[in-house]
Amino acid sequence: MRVHPWQVLLCAVAVAVGFGLVVQVRTERSIETSLQVPSGRLGEVAYRYRQAEREDAVLRDQLASLRQDIADEELRAAAGRQATAALGPELARMRALAGLTPVSGPGVRVTITDSNRPLRPGEDPNLVLIHYSDVHAVVATLFAAGAEAVAVNQDRIAGTTGISCVGTTILCNARRLAPPYQIDAIGDPAGLRAAVNARGGILNELRAFDFPVTVELEREIRLPAYTGTFVHQFARPVDKGG
Amino acid sequence: MWLPILGLAAGLALGLLVSVQVPLTYVKYSAIAILAAVDTLLGGMRAQVAGRFDLRVFLSGFIVNTLFAALLTALGDLLGLDIYLGAVVAFSIRIFNNIGFIRRDLIGLIWRARPIEAGET
Repeated sequence: MRVHPWQVLLCAVAVAVGFGLVVQVRTERSIETSLQVPSGRLGEVAYRYRQAEREDAVLRDQLASLRQDIADEELRAAAGRQATAALGPELARMRALAGLTPVSGPGVRVTITDSNRPLRPGEDPNLVLIHYSDVHAVVATLFAAGAEAVAVNQDRIAGTTGISCVGTTILCNARRLAPPYQIDAIGDPAGLRAAVNARGGILNELRAFDFPVTVELEREIRLPAYTGTFVHQFARPVDKGG
Repeated sequence: MWLPILGLAAGLALGLLVSVQVPLTYVKYSAIAILAAVDTLLGGMRAQVAGRFDLRVFLSGFIVNTLFAALLTALGDLLGLDIYLGAVVAFSIRIFNNIGFIRRDLIGLIWRARPIEAGET
């Protein structure tokens, strides 16, 4: 069999085509196994990759700045910790003074209630009823005698507590009180009792009008915390310098 | 006649033995180029079977088809058009045509003693 030169050339071309075919197929397969996409979508993959890299750079920047923020905050927190530690007991004391914590201790329990004396015809019923001013007078007397915490019918007296009345109802902390009125005070028991029982004092006067009044010394009284709100809409703290 | 087929087999074996990969950037273009090359090779075989093989036509067709297929695809990428689809369709149709002609010519060669009626299949 004669071999023409052009047959050799054709053979060479065939070799080239076969080689190229196999290389192409192997490349394609390696792309599909490693990237999970056909080569036609390589551009898309590249685009996604660049986008992801850009996002990555942005996130890295954010991370760095957040780390810096954390470091700054930690420094600040370390500086503030001593101040906070000093503030803690002070704050607790202030809360106790403001009546925001339940307290217990020795003291007196004063109980007053409306008189059960029958009214004589034509007599003013006010004469046998306890008025808000009576309750207030007892509270004021106790505070004046050094009571550290006072509650009326388990309603704690705070700095903004008002005792008032609406019609026949006595209000304390805007809550209605009902007789008997039990006024608990923590402080030196003997001193408090002496103060409320003082001659010409409020209890003396109530007894004179036949109101049932009791004063008990208590070894341990427990007073609840003030549960109302403090609204400071108009009053503002004034700087010492100003 | 059998030499090109032998060459093709040798090329396939060589490709399997040597681990070469097309750079990722050119995969798209080389795929089209190889499709064109396959088409040209089949065209050459067909011409040979038909007894009107021209080496110049074959070689020029091989080179020009391969290059232009790749260039057309690149142009399509530049324009944002899927021009390579056109090349794929054109070359695929030609490959089928060539295979059909080769098949019929081969049948004609082998069974020359008993001529078959002209026509498809």
